[in-house]
Amino acid sequence: MKNIFTSFILLFFAFESNAQIIKADIIATGLTCSMCSKSIYKQLTSLPEVASVDTDLNTNTFTVNLKPNTNVSPKIFKDNVEKAGFFIGSLVVTADSKTLENYINLEKKQIPNSKQVQVQILDKGFVTEKEFKKLAKKHKDIASYSDGNENDFHFKMTN
Amino acid sequence: MRVLYIWLAFLFTQFIFSQELFVVTDPASNIPANSLSVRLGNSLFKEKLENGYNYHLMPEVTYGLNKNLMFRGTAFISNRQNNLVAEGGSFYSKYRFYSEDDINSHFRMAAFGRYSFNNSDIHQEQIETMGHNSGYEMGLVATKLIHKVAISSSLSFEKALDNTSKNPFPNELGSAATNYTLSIGKLMYPKKYTSFKQTNINLMLEFLGQTINENGHSSIDVVPAIQFIINSQARIDLAYRHELMSSMFRTAPNGVYLNLEYNFYTIF
Repeated sequence: MKNIFTSFILLFFAFESNAQIIKADIIATGLTCSMCSKSIYKQLTSLPEVASVDTDLNTNTFTVNLKPNTNVSPKIFKDNVEKAGFFIGSLVVTADSKTLENYINLEKKQIPNSKQVQVQILDKGFVTEKEFKKLAKKHKDIASYSDGNENDFHFKMTN
Repeated sequence: MRVLYIWLAFLFTQFIFSQELFVVTDPASNIPANSLSVRLGNSLFKEKLENGYNYHLMPEVTYGLNKNLMFRGTAFISNRQNNLVAEGGSFYSKYRFYSEDDINSHFRMAAFGRYSFNNSDIHQEQIETMGHNSGYEMGLVATKLIHKVAISSSLSFEKALDNTSKNPFPNELGSAATNYTLSIGKLMYPKKYTSFKQTNINLMLEFLGQTINENGHSSIDVVPAIQFIINSQARIDLAYRHELMSSMFRTAPNGVYLNLEYNFYTIF
């Protein structure tokens, strides 16, 4: 019974972390070669939710365009970049603002009511390690930020 | 020798981008998860004591199980018995246990192990579980990318066993060795990327050392290499291996490598 309850809670949180993401701009870290970029590109294009991926090989930026009305967790980008053997240095998602209600805003700037907003995900694994250490210090009063829970997300507005 | 120093100076002063897809050694990074890499390794080494060349053909398949673990199987075929004969094979695995990545830089460490079997005659003091000796190798490799300069170094223990009961390991030779390597690489072309289709040209320089643990006999080789990466998916390596110093008995220390490789991404 306890297990069912835990599963239910986990399922609830997993569901909650999804957002209607239209576009994701990823800067990958740890690479300078086009073969490495291609492995990330192939990993991202293999996802059924992904419509197309544009790449800037010089900056290792991957612009992932998702299929209409796709609800996903930012974790799929992290998992797939890491599967290719690299890490995320920056992830900015363009999402339907209403679906970000369960995400935690780390900055004072509030989400406007406009439909599409751009937010940068600031959790561990979504920024460089150095940046995360800095942010964890800055937001040490926000317990959920440094507890490492993979199912809640913290962000700041970028537009 | 002078050419080598000029090459070295050139590499150290002109690093713009760098690569770690080395020809002889393996970096701490693995191939992507769910990907398959197929390689046809060729090497042609000049026999020192007799006329002719020692040719080795090594077909190889590498599979990335997850982001940290990969497996590789290699077959060894050579012309030591005048016509091409399959002499053995090896299993290799590498586990990346440390990663510290930043924009355009990383420091990674991995542990690796190899088990090889080979039925050819044992004809030299040098221990080489890639195509010559039955045995195993275990080691650590660290790869650092700093300001777009990549340097990789490995340290390993290698133990030779009998090449089947027909060719037992000679008692008078030391069967255990310590290997140490240092590799550097640089992307020469393109200076600026425009697409995945651009051919990349890399220059590499590797130093390979071995000391036989029982008697201290050692050798150090240098391997300059040029590498072409086509369509970000296929790889052609052309390298020359040259003995810099040696106090051990080796039958064919100098020669060339030609590797052809193709990567299949996200196959499963």
